[in-house]
Order: sequence, then structure tokens, then C-alpha cells
Amino acid sequence: MIVNYNWLSEWVDIKTPPEKLSEFLAKIGIEVEEVEKVSGDTIYKIDITPNRGDLLSVIGIAREIAAKTEKNLKKSIDYKFPEENAENTVNVEIESEEDCPRYTASPLDNMQVSNSPSFITERLKKCGIRPLNNVVDITNYVLLETGQPLHAFDLDKLQKGITVRRATKGEKITTLEEEEKELSKKDLIIADDNGPIALAGIMGGLKSGITEDTKRIVLESAFFKPSLIREASRRLKISTESSYRFERTVDMYMVGYAAYCAIQLFKEYAKGKIMGKIVDTNPNPTLTKTIPFSYSKINNLLGMTVEKEKSIKILENLGFKVSNKNEDKAEALIPSHRNDLKIEEDLIEEIGRFTGYDNIPLRFKYTNYVPVRTENKELVEIKKIVVRMGFWEAINIPFIEPEWAFKKNVDAIYLENPMWSDKGILRNTLIPGLLENVKRNLNRGEEIVKIFEVGRIFSKGKEEEENIGGVIAGNISKKWYEKEREVDFYDIKGIIETLLGDIKIKDYSLKDCTDPLFIKERALSINSGGELCGTFGMINQGICKNDVFGFEINLKKLLKHKKEERFKKVSIFPPLKRDISIIVDEKTPFEEIETLLDNLTRQRARIKLIDVYSAKKLGKDKKSLTIRLEFYNPNKTLTDDETKDDIKAITTKLKSIGATLRE
Amino acid sequence: MDLESLKKEAKLEIQKAKTIDELESIRIKHLGKKGSLTKILHSIGNLSVTERPKVGQLANKLKNELAESIEEKKKTIGKGKSYPWIDTSLPGRKSNTGGLHPLSILSQEIQDIFIRMGFSVVTGPEIETEYYNFTALNTPKHHPARDMHDTFYLKDGRLLRTHTSPVQIRTLEKNSPPLRIISPGKCYRVDTFDPIHSPTFTQIEGLWVDKNISMADLFGTLDSFAKNIFGKDVKTEFFPSYFPFTEPSAEMWIECPFCKGKGCSVCKKRGKIETVGAGMVHPNILKSLGYEGCNGFAFGMGVDRIAMTKYDIDDIRLFFQNELQFLRQFNDSKL
Repeated sequence: MIVNYNWLSEWVDIKTPPEKLSEFLAKIGIEVEEVEKVSGDTIYKIDITPNRGDLLSVIGIAREIAAKTEKNLKKSIDYKFPEENAENTVNVEIESEEDCPRYTASPLDNMQVSNSPSFITERLKKCGIRPLNNVVDITNYVLLETGQPLHAFDLDKLQKGITVRRATKGEKITTLEEEEKELSKKDLIIADDNGPIALAGIMGGLKSGITEDTKRIVLESAFFKPSLIREASRRLKISTESSYRFERTVDMYMVGYAAYCAIQLFKEYAKGKIMGKIVDTNPNPTLTKTIPFSYSKINNLLGMTVEKEKSIKILENLGFKVSNKNEDKAEALIPSHRNDLKIEEDLIEEIGRFTGYDNIPLRFKYTNYVPVRTENKELVEIKKIVVRMGFWEAINIPFIEPEWAFKKNVDAIYLENPMWSDKGILRNTLIPGLLENVKRNLNRGEEIVKIFEVGRIFSKGKEEEENIGGVIAGNISKKWYEKEREVDFYDIKGIIETLLGDIKIKDYSLKDCTDPLFIKERALSINSGGELCGTFGMINQGICKNDVFGFEINLKKLLKHKKEERFKKVSIFPPLKRDISIIVDEKTPFEEIETLLDNLTRQRARIKLIDVYSAKKLGKDKKSLTIRLEFYNPNKTLTDDETKDDIKAITTKLKSIGATLRE
Repeated sequence: MDLESLKKEAKLEIQKAKTIDELESIRIKHLGKKGSLTKILHSIGNLSVTERPKVGQLANKLKNELAESIEEKKKTIGKGKSYPWIDTSLPGRKSNTGGLHPLSILSQEIQDIFIRMGFSVVTGPEIETEYYNFTALNTPKHHPARDMHDTFYLKDGRLLRTHTSPVQIRTLEKNSPPLRIISPGKCYRVDTFDPIHSPTFTQIEGLWVDKNISMADLFGTLDSFAKNIFGKDVKTEFFPSYFPFTEPSAEMWIECPFCKGKGCSVCKKRGKIETVGAGMVHPNILKSLGYEGCNGFAFGMGVDRIAMTKYDIDDIRLFFQNELQFLRQFNDSKL
């Protein structure tokens, strides 16, 4: 909302200079977003919180300034409607008092539609409203000043009286903006005998609008049920200065005062004359809302002492009537413009607000609870392991293209109002986002990209799961001590082995990959406890030119299999190392040899593959493997003699599966 | 000079010596032709017959001892000398570690501050229902306060949480007060994707429900938080505000760390930056959960905004583009 300094000054004496007013208002919770100096005035763009409909006007802001500076408003908002001939009145029927608890209709004739005086057009422009003609401008002017939206109908275009009612299904209205809207039973409308003439509180209809030829008008000022207006405004996708205020609740009293102001201006600037009795369905709305409060609670909740007299003074400055019940308890009668106040805490906020939040002491009284860091701890550890392996953490926006769900055969969750039309689903995998990151970084000239993300993935009928995904692509760059090479499958495998080892997952097996996002000849699945926990390998993608290797693991499933190991005694005796070279068929998996050696040596030796190579001299489709066995004994230094039997058993076994021993 | 003090002096000199040259001059000083010990040996003739063999023996012993010490020391100094020259200015062999995302680093840092104050960390789902995201938080349907949260809805009627407050409700349903929790996590709001808006952001919210909690406790907590994050000299200021789930409500602003309150582009010339929204838990919320006789405070902050302030980042989209050039600039020293 926009207000300016000069207009405010008409209503309240402001001691604060224009450039300091933002600060002044901030202290009482009114946030000025922008300040603009124009010749002879200062304009404030104010962000009014949704509970304070009463502040959406010059008078509203002036009232707060007056309360803070303990002054009265300079002008009175008392009014009395002129009494005129009752015969020429407009018939008004209200279908439901709940929907419309107050409606005023003022008939005026002799109107001369022309331009507004400059003081009106200037002020409208400063507030961002385009001047049209004096009739419309005056309704807008009063709206800005009082916060009460008004509407003027061309009386000659109405068929008989005015009815405030719900629309019937299928009824239509063409709005002032020449849009046809189909209405429902939830919409509150103003109608004449021919049908809808305005969307109550939102926008007038085209056919009853003010034109240059308008001579007689009916001025409407009313209170409409806020939730009705809000709902209709949302459904019909029309938001106006008027609907904005009605949905935030207008002031029952101001309904009358605003009409009165507009009539005065019509008389003066449009030559208008009251032509009949002013209809008012609820001329004297009584104040009934009282809120009981206790002085001790004020102090307890704010954490500071506010003298009883001071509390009363603050409430009275804000227009409340305070009646003491006893020493501690009292009651406040709430003025009609403060619809936001409902409970004791609301009143306490008012007292805090006007005492000043800077007077509340800073207290720090932490004792006696033991903090429990629960759900995040393991996650942080895992992230750190991945970071140590050279990965950078990414955070992606979890909206992706539906194609990814089809690819993965997952039932996706679709957004009703997607951010980007092509990215209509919630991600069911972290891979797409990471691929985009790889592409972007390679385009930026990065030689190697190692990136990971931890985040939720979503699919229909399943609980959201927390996954960790990572990708690696590009070249391990040339260095003075190292050759350049492209990243390959064994890089990602090493990463997975390190990761699983570091988080102490011991019992897992790597099996054929079943995830269609990966290339099955270059990928494996991670299984633990009979459960698929994740996949790693070369990614099946057409996004980056380079090969991309990656992994995606379900953290919860994986962590179930975490095993804390018991401490093992440290051996002070060095291992005995023996190397064995064998020639086997090209396609013999190393795993086979490893299992065999493992079974033969049990826990006594560590097995390391130290060389793999193929060459013509080895024979067609053959490869050579060199394996280092490190024998341990916790109690003594081993000698060659003591491992002789083991070596013999091993070589015999290797020969039996067709391996040739190289000397 | 007597033998005893000569021994002490020479030993000390050998100990301190750093080069072969120094050792050589120590040798000459004591054992050379005109050396101090040589002089003593030469003057033995002047001593009485009974003293002569005793002193002679001691002096010779010391002579051998010193010669030996000097040789030994020469060996230790001389060791490096036999290594060939290398270019020590070549870059070293590095193992390249990566790094956490700045939002992760900061989120962790913030969590740690509250953990030290006794808050426990809880998390919850990102897909939520109307009830947990709004209704249970005193924000009924058709309440204008819903304008504060433009919401992503799913085709099945659920929604993406607009704040992590639903976690507070879920926690209060399962655990009765007193309790102190923080809930970090990803939140979603319909917004353009531009330098200051993003459809997702990281939020951390806190809740303390107990007996006799006051605004003073809230302000003290938040002030201490701000000093931990922005430095002990940071100035905080509290203003009245509005949230449907707190009453009274407040905002904490900090003095702009870049211009120190003078007004600059970071703080949009205001001299201060909004950091935390907070307030006393609305009594309706506790009542509807069945808790009477207690109260508490709640607060929430956007990690992205704080990161932008703390690191002077002018475009929020940088957080989601994940360029290594950007990510490399943040180091988690705690790693």
C-alpha cells in the first residue's frame, strides 16, 4: 500500500521528519519497503501484514502515528447522513445478513461527469491509481483515505432495486474490464431485476458502469463477508484494491463515514445532489467485542515490567475502552476497526508494540535439557566421506521432466501448478539434476566434475526417501607427475568401495544392474541384507557428450546394515609378502580368483591385486594377474617355511581351475 | 680456565653449532695448536709432580671426548648434504577434496548453535497436507495470511510444504512439552526464479515449549544466535510483526554487516537486514493439541537469505546452478 507524508499530515501532527518516518513506523511494526522523495512530498510503499486490514488507508496509518505520539487525529470521523425525501429512495434487499451485515446506498442526481480537481488526481497518481473521471476518482480517493471501498452505479441503467445475494449457478456477468465471468452459488453479487450488476466487493459490471453521460448514480458502501470475497476473487482470478481490502475485513463504522465523505466530494466536485433517502441497513453497529486480560500476564509474556497505568494508556490511545475488574484483571472494549484482535495475547502484543520491542530485555536461561542430535548425524558423516573423495555438494531444485519417470518405470508425482511447464513432476531420482550440473560445468571449461547431492526423491504410493547421488565425468588432468586419463568405471567403483567401507557396511554384494538409468554392462547394483540399496556405474544419458559415471543410493536402506566393529588387537609383527602371477582366460572374473584365495587363506592373509595385463605372448584371450598375499600372524614373525603349505595349496587349487603359474 | 668449565663451555658450543664451519672453528678454538685445551696440556709441566698425572689424564680424556662430539655432530649436520638438488618450487602432489554446499555448511553451523543451547534436531516430510501446513498452524482456508505462502499443489491435493513448521506440529503430536526442537529442511513456494527469488529454499525453524517462556527469552536466544553467526559485535533489533501461528510476533533485523548501518546495495539502503521471523506460539495451536498451562516461542529463518548476507552473494540462483567455480569458494573448516 502507498501513502504519502502530506496526506498523512492532514490527519495527524507528525513530529518525525519525512526521512525518519520509516524508522518510526518500523518500531510499531509497520514496514516501509520503499521511500520515494517527490517535489514537496514523500511517498512510502508500505507492506501491511494480512491481519491489519485497518491499516490499508491514510486514516489507518495516521491513527497508529497518533497513538504512538499520544495525540488525537486532527479531523473527526463523526458523520451524519443528510435526511432527504424518502420517496425517491433505492430499494435494497439483503439476502443474508451474514454475507452482508451492512449496506448503504446513496442516490444522487444532477451529476456532471468530468475531470477531477488536481488535488485528487495528484494524490491518486502518487498512490499508483490512474485518474478516470471525477465520479470514479472520488470513490478511489475515499478508498485510499478511509480504507473503505466504494462503488458507483449508473442509476438509470438499473432495473428497479438492488439485491445483495448469492449468484445462481450459470449466471454470468461482464465486468468493467469487459471480461465475461460465469458465476457460482459461492459468489456474492449485487443484482437488479435483470441479473448481476456487480461482483460484490470485487468489481462492477460493465452495463451499470459510469460513463460520460451518467446523470444519476447510486453510491454503494458496504461490509461483505471477508472469506466470501477472498474465495470469489481467487476463483475468478480478479484481484482489485477493493477485494484486497474486503478480504482483509473493513471497518463496520467506516462504511458510513466513507459514504458520507464521498457524498460531500460529489456535491463539491461533480455538482451532485442527494435525491432521496440514504439506505443504511445497519446504521449504528454497536461495539460488543471485549477481551479480558490480566496485567501480570502482560509482564510474564513480554518478559518485562509494564506499569499498569502505562498499559491502560497504550490501550486507550489505540481507542480501546478499558474497565478494571479487580487488581489484576481488566477488560478492553475493542474499536470497530480492530477486527484482528481476538485474544489476550493480541492485546499483549499491542502493549509490547507501543512500549517498544527494544525495551524487552535479552534473557538467556538455558539449562537442564540434553540436546539430542538425531536424524541428521549420520548424514553429515556420509557427506564428509564423499567430500574427502573430491566431490562437491550440489543442491538442485527437485522438479524434473516426466520422461525420467517413464525411463525408470516409476509412478511419478505430478504438480498441479508446476514452476516450469516441462518440469512437471517431483524428482524420483537425483541423477537428472546432477547431469545438468555436469553439463553446465563442462561447458564452463572444467576438466573434471565430481558432484553429489543428498535429497528427497518422490514417487506415488511410497514414502519420500532420502537418497545420495553422485556423478563424475571428464578427465583426470595431466600433471607433471601423472598422465592424463578419462574417468572410467573403476573410478566410480573405487568411490563406492571407499564409501561403503568408511560407513562400515561390511556385508554387501555387487550384482547385475537392473536400473535402466545405467548401462548394464558398465554398472552394478549394491545389495545388502537381501535388499537393493543402490546402483553405480556408467549412466545411460544423452545430455553430456562425455561419459558420465555415477551412483545413487537409498540412505535409509543402506544405513540399516551399518555395523560398528569391535576393536582388534594391533599386531606388532610385520606381514610376510608373497607375490603370485597367473595366466587365466581373459573373461575370468577376478572375483572368482579372489574368492578362491580367500577361502584357502581364511583370515590369515590379505589379498591384493597388483597387476593386470594382456599381451600376445600370453596367448590369445589370456590375461596375466599378479596377486600379492600378505600373511599375518599376531603372535610372531612368519618365515617362508611357515607359509609354504599355504602357497602350495593355493598353486594347486589355481592350477585345478586352469590357471597357469608364471615364474 | 679449569677443565670443568672448559668442558661445559665447549659442549654447549657444539650443541648450538649448526654448520660444519662452526664446528671447525670450535675445534680450532679448543683443540687447535693454540686451542684452550692444548694450552692446558702444554702447561701441565708447571704443575706439581703429584698433580701432573691426574690433570694430564683428565685433559687427555676431555680432548678425546670433545673430538668425538665434534665428529658426531658433523655427521648429523652433514647428512643432508649428500642429497641431489630438487626443484622444491614444483607444485606438490595433492589429493583433491571437494566441499559441502554453502547452504549445507551454514545450515549445519546454525544447527550447531542451537544444539549447544539444548535444541534437538527433527525432520519431516516435504510433501505435506493442508492440515499440517496451514490449518494446524492457525491459518484456516480463505485466510489472507495464506497470501504469505504461495503454494505448490500436487495433483492428488497434497502440497509441498511452504515452511518446516509442520514438523513442529508433528513433533508436538508425539511428544509433550517441555521440548526444544529445531527443524531444518527444504521448503517450496511459488515464486519467479530471479536474483532474489527461488521456488525452493532451506529453512530452519525452532520451537521451545515449556512453562513461563517470555519474549525476553526469545529475544535473548535470537540475539545470541545472531552473534554466533555474524560476529559478537553485530547489532540486532526487534520489530513487531505478524504470523498467524505466533502472538505476539516479531522480526529480528541485524545491522547490515557490509555498510554497518549506513545503507548499501546489500541492505537495499535500509542499513539493516531482516533475518528471523519469530513470536510466542499462538495459544490456539497449543490448545488444539491439548496442551494447557504451557507456552513457548517459535522462530524461523531462511538459510539462503542468511547465506546471501553472510557471504555477500547477490544472486540466489547461484546456489542452484552448482558451478564448481562457485562451490570452491566455500570451505568447511570443520571437515
